[in-house]
Amino acid sequence: MTIVLDRISKSFGQVEVLKTLSLEVNPGEFLVLLGASGSGKTTALRMIAGLESVSSGRIVIGQRDVTNVLPKNRDVAMVFQSYALYPHKTVFDNIAYPLAVRKRPKAEIESSVRDVARQVQLDQLLDRFPRQLSGGQRQRVALARAIVRRPSAFLMDEPLSNLDAKLRGHMRAELKHMQHELGIATIYVTHDQIEAMTLAHRVAILERGVLQQLDTPANIYNRPANLFVAGFIGSPPMNVLEGSLTQGRFECGSGSFGTASTSSGKAVVAGIRPEDGRLTAEGSGHLAGEIYASELIGDHTLVTCRCGDATVTVKADKDFDGAIGQRVGVGFEPRVVHLFDKATGERIS
Amino acid sequence: MSVLKRLTEPKSLETMSPLGSVLVYGALIVWSLVVLFPLYWIAITSLKLPIHVSAGPVYLPYIDFMPSTHAWHYIFYDLGNDTLRPYMNSIVVALVSTVLAMLIGSMAAYALSRLEFAPRLASILLFIFLGGVMIVAVAGFGVPWWIAAVVALAIFLLLARAVGRTMRASLGNGDILFWIISQRILPPVVAALPIYVMFQSLSLLDTRTALIATYTTVNLPIVVWLMYDFFVTIPKDLEESASLDGASRFAIFFGIVLPLARPGLVATGLLVLILAWNEYLLALFLSSANAQTMPVLVAAQNATRGPQWWYMSVLILLMILPVIGLTLLLQRFIAKGLLLGAVKG
Repeated sequence: MTIVLDRISKSFGQVEVLKTLSLEVNPGEFLVLLGASGSGKTTALRMIAGLESVSSGRIVIGQRDVTNVLPKNRDVAMVFQSYALYPHKTVFDNIAYPLAVRKRPKAEIESSVRDVARQVQLDQLLDRFPRQLSGGQRQRVALARAIVRRPSAFLMDEPLSNLDAKLRGHMRAELKHMQHELGIATIYVTHDQIEAMTLAHRVAILERGVLQQLDTPANIYNRPANLFVAGFIGSPPMNVLEGSLTQGRFECGSGSFGTASTSSGKAVVAGIRPEDGRLTAEGSGHLAGEIYASELIGDHTLVTCRCGDATVTVKADKDFDGAIGQRVGVGFEPRVVHLFDKATGERIS
Repeated sequence: MSVLKRLTEPKSLETMSPLGSVLVYGALIVWSLVVLFPLYWIAITSLKLPIHVSAGPVYLPYIDFMPSTHAWHYIFYDLGNDTLRPYMNSIVVALVSTVLAMLIGSMAAYALSRLEFAPRLASILLFIFLGGVMIVAVAGFGVPWWIAAVVALAIFLLLARAVGRTMRASLGNGDILFWIISQRILPPVVAALPIYVMFQSLSLLDTRTALIATYTTVNLPIVVWLMYDFFVTIPKDLEESASLDGASRFAIFFGIVLPLARPGLVATGLLVLILAWNEYLLALFLSSANAQTMPVLVAAQNATRGPQWWYMSVLILLMILPVIGLTLLLQRFIAKGLLLGAVKG
């Protein structure tokens, strides 16, 4: 089912935490709300769930305006960051709860729960209590409880953030597979850009209650809409250089280079991703600088250079061997340079 | 190592030093005797003849004195139904009033822990003022009470909004909770006379109903106050999750919240039950023959013939036994760690 947020906003007293957010989630789509803490992403999710009231605007699920509908009547399922398992109920009863409160026949509950439990590999643990489960198992109980009644939409509030790194990667893949199998529209809140990039069909990036960009992960990475998105997505973040543009040629204190643009005369910011740059010998390349630090990550080396006032990080070969203070050049193709208006932060195409 | 050091130094962080354990266990043993001796004394007094009580202390049955079951015989055969009736009264009144107080009090406490209330101070003052005017009109000017009530209510509904707009100050949940607790700070005996008059005009004097209603009211603040603390510790996530799973507020309250508050329910219920079980003063006012409860019956043994210690002892034993039994039975429910596994890994 389609979920439509039509100019919804939310204020707590004087503080406006969400400003006229509009977006549409298509049937079967996996949409990730990505943002730092305080960006309003969890508030938006809770508004869709019905746990927070809507200050203004409309929420439509399917054909139904649910703006003022109680959570229990919205037909959405939510997975909480804390899992929120009922500690006095067994795994079976936890998963069965959404069906039990709807007074479904016993036989149907029994078979649905066993089906779902098998799907998430909990069928051996149905008699346990939540306190007897590991973090990953609890996570799966929460998931099973959400999918058991085939809701119109899934809402997930940082469901993986309490797991350790290895398990998180594993559950991420399972989650993506399961969402694909079920084909139910999913809205997923996270602050983790890797989760957002890997899980989402589309990512909505929020900052201080304002939607910054809504696009596919590839487009968000390759064509960030503004400086905030450019800096937020990518690890290590995009290098930014302040300068001016003359007929498509960018100039700054530590060098100048051609770009894909042809405009001129503006105060602009140029962005280059670390993996798009390469280290060259002193005197060649587009920027001149010296090595500030070099860190071996494993499959590559991160080299941080001081170029005038700016810091430029370049992803180099894993066997790169340069001394701190060594003078180097930084080179790249003109087409990898992202240009942003310095005043507004918006992308210049 | 000196002897003193060896005596005062604990072997590990989890244990006490030898001297410390001697002192602590010594104190505990002494205190146990202080607690247990009266029980023993009552038990043997119930087996004494009047002569053994009045002729100075005797301590050991068969050695100091010959035990006799005359008091037990008197209470169970001679009094018979006059013992059984108060006993049943006590059981019914205590149980029913406890169940009612727990039910109403838990719901009130839950509401206070989850919903935001903000009654306007002005409305409250207006209500009190109109209540006062109503009393003056009825008592001083002979206005029929129902006319006065209707007029006062009409004026209140008419003015409440306007008054609320001019005086914006409002109270919060904390104020309401404190007001409820303050009802218990007031000793019930202060209200005993009005309560007596009220039940008199309702023709409910000397009925279990009157006692149940009174005990429920008197114990409600304790329930609200104690249960509030239990409810605020239950993670909100659980209830939000349940509401998304499709549960109504009542289903959440009875299916999720109450089971998780079980240790609190049991502890509070026991406390309230014991308070109602032992209540004397209000029972004395409100009951005579039919609705008489055990504490009143015990006190009645100190009647015209002077204190009948042997009969009292039997009755007191009868009163203590069910409480001890119930406490032992319910103790295992006052377990900890019920919320384990609810949230977080």
